[in-house]
Amino acid sequence: MRGARRSDLAVLRDAIRDTGVSRWAIIRAVLAGTMALGSAVGLSAVAAWLIAKAAQMPSPADVALAATIVRFFGVSRGLFRYLERLASHDAALRGVVTLRERAYDRLASSGARTVLGLRRGDIVARMGADLDAIGDAVVRAIVPLGVAATVSAISVAIVAVLLPVAGLALAACLLLAGVVPAILTARSARIAADAGARAQVEVTSASLSAMDGAAEHRVWGTAAAAAATLREADRDAEDAHELAARPAAWAAGFQALFSGVALVALVALGVLAVQSGDLDGPAAAVVALLPLAAFEAVGAVPAAVMQYFRSAAAARRLAELSDREAADPAPAVREVPAASSLALDALSVAWPGMEPTRPVTGAVAPGQVLAVVGRSGVGKTTLLTTLAGALPPAAGTVTADGAPASPVHTGTTVAMTAEDAHVFGTTVLENLRVARGDVTEEQAWAALKVVGLDGWVRGLPAGLDTELGTGGRSVSGGERRRLLLARAGLAPAPVVLIDEPAEHLDDAGADALRALVSRMRAEGRTVVLVTHDLSVLDLADAVVSLDD
Amino acid sequence: MKPLDPRLVRRIGPARRHILVTAGLGFVTALLILVQALVIARLLAPILSPVPLADDGLHWWGRIVPEGARTLATGLTVLGVVVAARAAVAWLQERLAHRAGVQVISQLREMVVEHVATRGPRWSAGGRTAEVATLVTRGLDDLLPYFVRYLPQLALAVTVTPVMIVVVLGLDWLSAVIVVATLPLVPVFMILVGLVTQERSARHLEAMQRLGARTLDLIEGLPTLKALGRERGPAARVRELGEAQRRATMGSLRVAFLSGMVLELLTTLAVAIVAVTMGFRLIDGHIGIETALAVLVLAPEVYLPIRNVGTHFHASADGLAAADAAFSLLDEEDPARSRASLGPAPDARGRAIAVEGLAVATPDGTRLAPGALTFTAAPGAITALRGPNGEGKSTALLALTGLLAPDAGSVAVGDVTVQRDDAAVEETSWLAQVAWVPQRPDLGPEGRTLSLGQRQRRALARAFESDRPVVLLDEPTSHLDRASRAEVIAGMRALADAGATVVVATHEAEVLAAADAVVDVTATRVEAVAP
Repeated sequence: MRGARRSDLAVLRDAIRDTGVSRWAIIRAVLAGTMALGSAVGLSAVAAWLIAKAAQMPSPADVALAATIVRFFGVSRGLFRYLERLASHDAALRGVVTLRERAYDRLASSGARTVLGLRRGDIVARMGADLDAIGDAVVRAIVPLGVAATVSAISVAIVAVLLPVAGLALAACLLLAGVVPAILTARSARIAADAGARAQVEVTSASLSAMDGAAEHRVWGTAAAAAATLREADRDAEDAHELAARPAAWAAGFQALFSGVALVALVALGVLAVQSGDLDGPAAAVVALLPLAAFEAVGAVPAAVMQYFRSAAAARRLAELSDREAADPAPAVREVPAASSLALDALSVAWPGMEPTRPVTGAVAPGQVLAVVGRSGVGKTTLLTTLAGALPPAAGTVTADGAPASPVHTGTTVAMTAEDAHVFGTTVLENLRVARGDVTEEQAWAALKVVGLDGWVRGLPAGLDTELGTGGRSVSGGERRRLLLARAGLAPAPVVLIDEPAEHLDDAGADALRALVSRMRAEGRTVVLVTHDLSVLDLADAVVSLDD
Repeated sequence: MKPLDPRLVRRIGPARRHILVTAGLGFVTALLILVQALVIARLLAPILSPVPLADDGLHWWGRIVPEGARTLATGLTVLGVVVAARAAVAWLQERLAHRAGVQVISQLREMVVEHVATRGPRWSAGGRTAEVATLVTRGLDDLLPYFVRYLPQLALAVTVTPVMIVVVLGLDWLSAVIVVATLPLVPVFMILVGLVTQERSARHLEAMQRLGARTLDLIEGLPTLKALGRERGPAARVRELGEAQRRATMGSLRVAFLSGMVLELLTTLAVAIVAVTMGFRLIDGHIGIETALAVLVLAPEVYLPIRNVGTHFHASADGLAAADAAFSLLDEEDPARSRASLGPAPDARGRAIAVEGLAVATPDGTRLAPGALTFTAAPGAITALRGPNGEGKSTALLALTGLLAPDAGSVAVGDVTVQRDDAAVEETSWLAQVAWVPQRPDLGPEGRTLSLGQRQRRALARAFESDRPVVLLDEPTSHLDRASRAEVIAGMRALADAGATVVVATHEAEVLAAADAVVDVTATRVEAVAP
């Protein structure tokens, strides 16, 4: 149907294999779940036997054991349910931890182009909510389905031992009550993912347009039309949901029907077996009343199937995140040359599907500074990504010391500081060590002094060891920019690329930038600054412009 | 927390109808469960009783299912009908719940969107739009599980449970006492467990969220690490943080699942005790087998809805939170719309627009942008508003449209005031004469697929062709290439030649050069006023 597209099952299976969740952990959770719901079945069976036996007025000692077992099942259900929930959640959480590490590893070793092209929202959604959704497959799909199978088997075994034909009837009904709703639910989930998702897109776009364009709608008298568009999109979404709800409703109906059919059949068979003398009263009571408890486990099947589809979709998104491109060849130790020049020859750059930039030519040697200017949105950051070797040029060439820039250079020969570079939620010192793991405290202070941030850090509660807020949120725009400059200054790479270095900087900050650039110049480093701020141009030995 | 938001019942038709229907189906279900239990007792009693049954063990309830159901043919027929009816009710319940759920979501969405759309542009710019957009496009969907999963169980809890208690009381008062005595224990113990573990779970929850945020922070920084060649290191740290988060999560779950365990423990144990007690009383002959069977089948049904309500608690919490967010938004008053009416707007064709001391406070209240803007825009001429970003050019245009009320000053057509801080002419009669093109115009859902430049051109075309006497253009040449810019300027000139009053906010030299008059727009700081 979808050609080479891998099936949901294969994608999810691979993801779950990656979680490293052991078979034993799942078996343990299924066993606990079986004991929990099995207790309900056991309670129903033994209580039925107890009542029926007691009706024959035996001596109390004859039912004492049954009474004890009934009480035991009364307690064990809650206890084992608790254990099952702990066991399945623990297995899933362990799996998510492992999977997150592996997914991170895989993503980190993906091509530089993939990684540098990632959007933050995407990474967080895939590595956060989607990973959790894959873990949920264990708790809400695999374990409940396993429990449904084992508890159903136990119920059938109990009945079959007493009256084989009744066992057969119960088995058939349990199977139908599990499989038919599963198929219907799968249908419902597919419709929801297809028509439902499409309708949802329309609703979203109509809602946003009605709200964002509200002022214009009032001026042009189109508010009623916008509301009508939304109402229409909502009707479509309702219809799509209606389509998906239909099989789901049949699934609910069939579950009730098959469990009822089992009840009718087993009551009839039990009564007939007593009348024909094949079974004594207490055994017949067990056969007749067991269906009331036996169907609880298969009742979880539709929800498990829904979860299966949710998890599979999450697994697919996660796989697509790092599948886009073959991994970089990753030598264990990548060699960093002491110095390197950079040359751009009729270089034009573009992300796939983007309009290529105007070709630019220029060169920058160690100890020199090249400035790239252009309006916002013209492709300056794309150019930097290309200079870093992460993105192949759309046309022309870029060479580092004569060799074409490639992903091998990214982060080794060429260190890049993006405009939205991340300030981590850790200490100031660790944030500087992002550039180089062995930065000493003295080196850190020196680097901070160059960008004029030493005073600010000294004023922090724990100096270099002060934790910055997650995502650098407790840091102002100017401080953040200077911290990133200090980090860029500490990077060991001979070529340093800095995106919009003067953004958010006041006059003092601009002086700090000058100081940093002249220091890097003195160190014999090759510096490329990309900016739309023309005031930093006097720092540069050469300027290339991306504007027409 | 309340299980049901009264505003849903009062203000959302489909919700009200569905709650009534669900309650009705709950009673039908209760009746079916009752008949099913009584028939099972009728059918099994004869084969289990050592002596022929003399009395009616179902007492008063025997009227619902007469003794004739003791015969296999009659009993099975009734049971078959009950089973079919229960399947039909299950089908109907699910079907109706889905339908009601999406209808409630649609209606709430339309109400919220309409409410937001009628608020002033200042409100939209107040930073709430992202939150509202999330609520409208995704948040309200949480109501679906609330309607499909939670409400039906809630309906059963308030119908089936009390009905079954009454029936059990009528059959065997001692079993009813056990049931009635254990039932209040469920909430009591759940609250107790909650209180005892509150501090502990809050601590775990906090650790869990902190560690989760840290892990994602680390992962979020991957592109930065890659750009510095340092992407390999943190994998171990991701694992460490993940392990710590797992331990914190398990710590909180160990506590959180306790209340679920208490619920299951109490309800199952009560059923077991009912069964055992009846067993010993059967031996003593204090209770008949028919009665005992009926109670045995009914006892779990008392507790089942309560247990299910507990299971779907989260569906309830999320759904109600979404409804609450929507209703509190709908209940917000809009101060911008409470201006007095100055009657219908005068005809603006051929008349100058006089702006006098116009000032609008910025949302943070620290500045007036524009601050005391005064100018006259003549008909048949292009008047340009000039000034750096943030001085209030766009706001001045908005105040001219009347979509935004000024904080001081006035706008007049000829000598008739049309906009003041406390009064304005009727919106429709004024806006029918105004053509306004904002920055980043919105052209409806289809317009979202166009590029900014294309959208700009279409919006300008609409204004140029509208033949409205007042034309307000906000940075009309942005996102356009040189040729299109010239077209826009020619268009503005043609409008002015045809007699329109054209006011354009711009900082482009070409547009300024084409203008007949240029007005500088400046903001002023708000002086601290001595009390």
